[in-house]
Amino acid sequence: MSTALHKDDRVIDLGRAHLVAMKELCSSLVYAALLTDDGFEVVRLTKSEIDGGRYASMASSMQALSEAVARELRIGSGEYTIIASQSGHVVQLRVPGHPLVLSALFDNDETLGKALASSRQTAEKIAAVLTAVP
Amino acid sequence: MAEHVILFAGPMGSGKTTAIETLSDIEVVATEAANTERDIVDKPTTTVALDYGEIVLGDEEKVRLYGIPGQRRFDFMWSILRERAEGMILLVNNDAPDAIATMIEYLDEFGELYERGGVVIGITRTDISRTPAVADYSRALAKARPGLVVPVLGIDPRSAEHMRMALMALIINIEMRETWSTREAETV
Repeated sequence: MSTALHKDDRVIDLGRAHLVAMKELCSSLVYAALLTDDGFEVVRLTKSEIDGGRYASMASSMQALSEAVARELRIGSGEYTIIASQSGHVVQLRVPGHPLVLSALFDNDETLGKALASSRQTAEKIAAVLTAVP
Repeated sequence: MAEHVILFAGPMGSGKTTAIETLSDIEVVATEAANTERDIVDKPTTTVALDYGEIVLGDEEKVRLYGIPGQRRFDFMWSILRERAEGMILLVNNDAPDAIATMIEYLDEFGELYERGGVVIGITRTDISRTPAVADYSRALAKARPGLVVPVLGIDPRSAEHMRMALMALIINIEMRETWSTREAETV
C-alpha cells in the first residue's frame, strides 16, 4: 500500500516550497493549505489562530459540495470555489490530476483576479512536479 | 405533503451511503472523496460532506435522507445536519473495533435526536463478523443508558426491505411522539 499523500515527505516538501513561492508572489496571502481530497492537511503556510486540521476538513467538504452542485446543475466540472467575505476571500481548487486541493485565504488588499491566477498557477505547478515524480 | 428529515450516522464503513442509495427515489447527491485511510477502512472513497436522498412513503409523506461523514474530523457537518433532523438511523458495522462502545459514543453525540424524535440502530456487516450478537448491543445499551427505548436491528444496507423496515419504525416513532406532544399541549 503506497504512502498516504499527507504522510509522504516528498509531497510535503514540494507542497511547502510552492506555498512559500505563492506567498512571495502575493503578499496578501494570509493562509494557504494543501490537503487531501478527504480532508487531511498535507502542508500549510501558518496563521497561528487557524486550526489547520479543522480548516482542511472544512475545505474538503466545501470542495465536495461545490462539485456536487456543479454536477447537479450540469455546468461542467468546478474550476474554483470562492468565498468572498468582508475581510478577505477564500479561493480553492483542485490540483489537476491528483487527489489534492489547494485552499488559500487572501486579505482584501488583493484583487480576486490575482488571487485566482496565483492559486491556479500554484496548483498547476504542484501538479506538474507531482506528475514528474516517479 | 408532510415532510420528515432523517439523519444517517455511524462510523466510516458502516453503510450509510449504501443505505441512502437503497432507499432513495431520486439519484443520491453524494460527496465522495478518495479515501486516504485505507489502512483503517479498506474502501476506495469516503463521504466528506453529506449524502442526500429522498423517498416518498404512501401518498403523503416525503422523507429527506441525510448521511453524514463517519469521521469525527467532519463533526462541523454533524452539527449542521443534526439541527435539521427529527430522528436518526444509527448504523454500526459489526466488524468495527469495539463496535458496542462506538454505538454508545454516537448515541451520546446525537442524544438530542432521541429526545426530539427517535433513533433506530442498525447493526451492519453481521455476515462479515458474527460477533457481537445483536442482542449484545441491546443488553449493553440497556445497561449503559437505562430508560432509553431504542430498537436495535440486524440490517443489510443493500436490502430495500431491511432499510424500509428501519425507516418505517423510526417514522412511526416520530409521528407517535408528535401526536403525544399535540395531545399534551391540548390538555394544558
